[in-house]
Amino acid sequence: MSGPLLLILAVAVAYLAAHVAFDWLARRFLIISGAEYLLLGILLGPQIANVLSVEVMASFSPLVTLSLGWVGAIVGTQFHIPSLVRVRALSYRVAFGEAMLTLIFVALVELAVMEWWLGMSELDAVAPAVALGAIAAVSAPAGIGIVARHLGRRSALLRQLEITTAIDALVAIVAIGLLLALRHPGDMAVSRPITPTEWVVISLGIGIIGGAMFELFLGGERDEDRLFISLAGAIILTSGAAAFLHLSPIFTAMVMSATLVNLSSNREAIVRTLHSSERPFYFVLLIFAGATWEPSLRAWVIPVLLYLVARAVAKAGGARLAARLTGTLTTLGPHWGRALLGQGPLALALGLEYVRMPNAPVPNVVFTAAIAAVLLLDISSAWMVHSVVEPLTADADRTPRPAGDVS
Amino acid sequence: MRRAVILLLLWGGMELLLSLDKGDHTASSETLLVFGFLILAAYTVGEIVTVVQLPKVTGYLAAGILFGPSALGVISLHSIAELAPVSRLAVALIAFLAGAELRWTELRDRAKPLLTMLGVELALSFAAIMGLLVVARSYVPFLSGLPMPETLVLSALFASVAIVHSPAVVMALLTETRARGPVARTTLGMVLVADIVVVLLFSGLLAIARTAVPTSASASGPSLGMVAWEIGGSLLVGAALGGAIALYMRFVKRELLLFAIVVTFFGSEIARLAHVEVLLTLLVAGFVVENGTKQGAAELLHAMERSAAPVFVVFFALAGAAIMVRDVLLIWPIAVAVVAVRAIAIAFGCHVGARLSRAGHMERRYVWMGLVAQAGVAIGLVAVVSEVYPERGAQMATLFLAVIAINQLLGPVLSRIALKNSGEIETGSGQGSSEPALAAETAARTP
Repeated sequence: MSGPLLLILAVAVAYLAAHVAFDWLARRFLIISGAEYLLLGILLGPQIANVLSVEVMASFSPLVTLSLGWVGAIVGTQFHIPSLVRVRALSYRVAFGEAMLTLIFVALVELAVMEWWLGMSELDAVAPAVALGAIAAVSAPAGIGIVARHLGRRSALLRQLEITTAIDALVAIVAIGLLLALRHPGDMAVSRPITPTEWVVISLGIGIIGGAMFELFLGGERDEDRLFISLAGAIILTSGAAAFLHLSPIFTAMVMSATLVNLSSNREAIVRTLHSSERPFYFVLLIFAGATWEPSLRAWVIPVLLYLVARAVAKAGGARLAARLTGTLTTLGPHWGRALLGQGPLALALGLEYVRMPNAPVPNVVFTAAIAAVLLLDISSAWMVHSVVEPLTADADRTPRPAGDVS
Repeated sequence: MRRAVILLLLWGGMELLLSLDKGDHTASSETLLVFGFLILAAYTVGEIVTVVQLPKVTGYLAAGILFGPSALGVISLHSIAELAPVSRLAVALIAFLAGAELRWTELRDRAKPLLTMLGVELALSFAAIMGLLVVARSYVPFLSGLPMPETLVLSALFASVAIVHSPAVVMALLTETRARGPVARTTLGMVLVADIVVVLLFSGLLAIARTAVPTSASASGPSLGMVAWEIGGSLLVGAALGGAIALYMRFVKRELLLFAIVVTFFGSEIARLAHVEVLLTLLVAGFVVENGTKQGAAELLHAMERSAAPVFVVFFALAGAAIMVRDVLLIWPIAVAVVAVRAIAIAFGCHVGARLSRAGHMERRYVWMGLVAQAGVAIGLVAVVSEVYPERGAQMATLFLAVIAINQLLGPVLSRIALKNSGEIETGSGQGSSEPALAAETAARTP
């Protein structure tokens, strides 16, 4: 049977499984689907069944780039400035504090591991260390949504968790976007070499100009089918341009969609249209991420184990420290960082971007760490959120509400 | 004005990006870039041409010619080849949507006028084109210097391909205009049935041609058994696929957008592996789904139309990009003559057929206009001729592609005029008026 046909069957079976089994499991036992597609990709990939051979994977490469762009575009829609300014600055301070502490802590730990354990030079070790730091910063938002639905109410902690996962995604995507721009191979037909700073500006420029141009393109379009064509074209063109220039499709697509939602009077329809088509891209991303994985038995165990440990410490400790520094520890609780431990498709997408980066040092170590984190933490992420949110919600229910409190 | 500015910005951006290429990029990144550009640029041109009352399909084709290798060169021949899977997906989507448009009860009621009109029209077109080629054989490159028997055989072979219509253009126009009146439905029925008839006719004539005009190539044309399997197998595979989709619609009915894409990919891949006709397989699958389920496939069709929209835009733009303007200009007199004779024969054949079957006045006057466009199957059949007769086949393909290029540009315009004049679409709005629009139809059939 041909590779493409098996891939189609795999996607079909995967998504039927998601609906028949995992939707029920998610509601009943707070289990999130996602990791099973990754596992499916590993099984079908060149390492095991070789159904998705290297050639088949290469032929589907544009689809993977598009999926990366779609993921970035969905993240970008969260950054609608008029909505963001309605949130208290304190929430952002907590979120940025947690994200930056995690990124820096994991990056430093991994830098040390790369130098001492893998014997890499400091210059070479910086890229994988920063990539791992960025991936570590990412927290899966899916568990938060499931728990909010499960509890049937919203709380200050849940809102803070939503803001934090959005900021985590922003920090991580920007870090990877900058990494790709700063380490650009410079293989372009130009009269003089383009400097790393100029590549950063080009990355941002594609996103911002793209967003502005697509706003002009969309005009006041309300029809969802026409919006779908236009948005698909916009994301394909933006992520294609980024991939063509060896820049980050996730970063440019995120900047593009953030620009678009801020300029457009039609934000709700754009967000709705993007979300209505996100699932197929997630499936593709997860399956291809699994198939792309090339385990390296020689040296990956220590850096990957340390990544998992350092990330857990950084998330729990960083979140607690950020809450303490901003005086919100009593509201959020001392263990609220545990709710941010889950990792999902965005972590894998960033890992894939690193693997696709030209001349990326130790790509398999970085990717293995992302895969291990998702396999271990994706399924349990809703439990972790629940274990943090539920006691605080119960406490709030027992506490008599003072007169005049309408929160 | 806004659209023109967008187009200029898109073109400028693409030129800037492509100029940075040192030639060592992976094909996939350029393919994705061109794909995105084509969606937006062709869509914009499609919107621009509606201002002058032209169908969007014409705009997409024009965008392909404008940005293709013949003119501005943004889309390279390599990119066209790389994007071939998009065209295959489009053909599969078109076929499924077309099959789902056919209702058994309606086909049964319309069988007599439809088959009579089609029979007369195909016979007349075939005879007229063949006659023209024989008469003007000294001006036709692939017939020059051949004795009469071989001239007759090769002319017949050419005519058997030239009579084919374009379900893609008809479906795209019906999707765009949402016309559902008698002219629209008769036209759709005729182009779909014509495809089956033409494949059979072509296969038979090719078998005769191979006996009458010996080929120097080692390639062999399709045998009768292969043709029988292509048709019969398509019916079997399509019915099985349609049955499976109907079951899904009955018991699961979720994530229809994703399901629509999976079904189309799966269907075309299964057809390719089973060596059956993709178009016919998906057409039968669509027909079975529409007629085999109580609620029909309205929701699935809507999801499919949505996923098809960007694919259609790129499909027609690629078809436009593949038109080699220089080749058309080299043989334009004979190409124009074939186009004119074919159009007249179609018009006359439809008129006579409609009279014989006592079809309605509107069908008698306007159905022929929807039958002028050509593409898809025709290009595939010409490729088969080129395989069997490498030298003459290549010359035949050049003339044929020139004819297709003219018909591709002319056909959608005529189709739209037909639908407009028959009152099946409103002027300007592009919405169906005499029959319920698809959205309303979908809503009405949704439980």
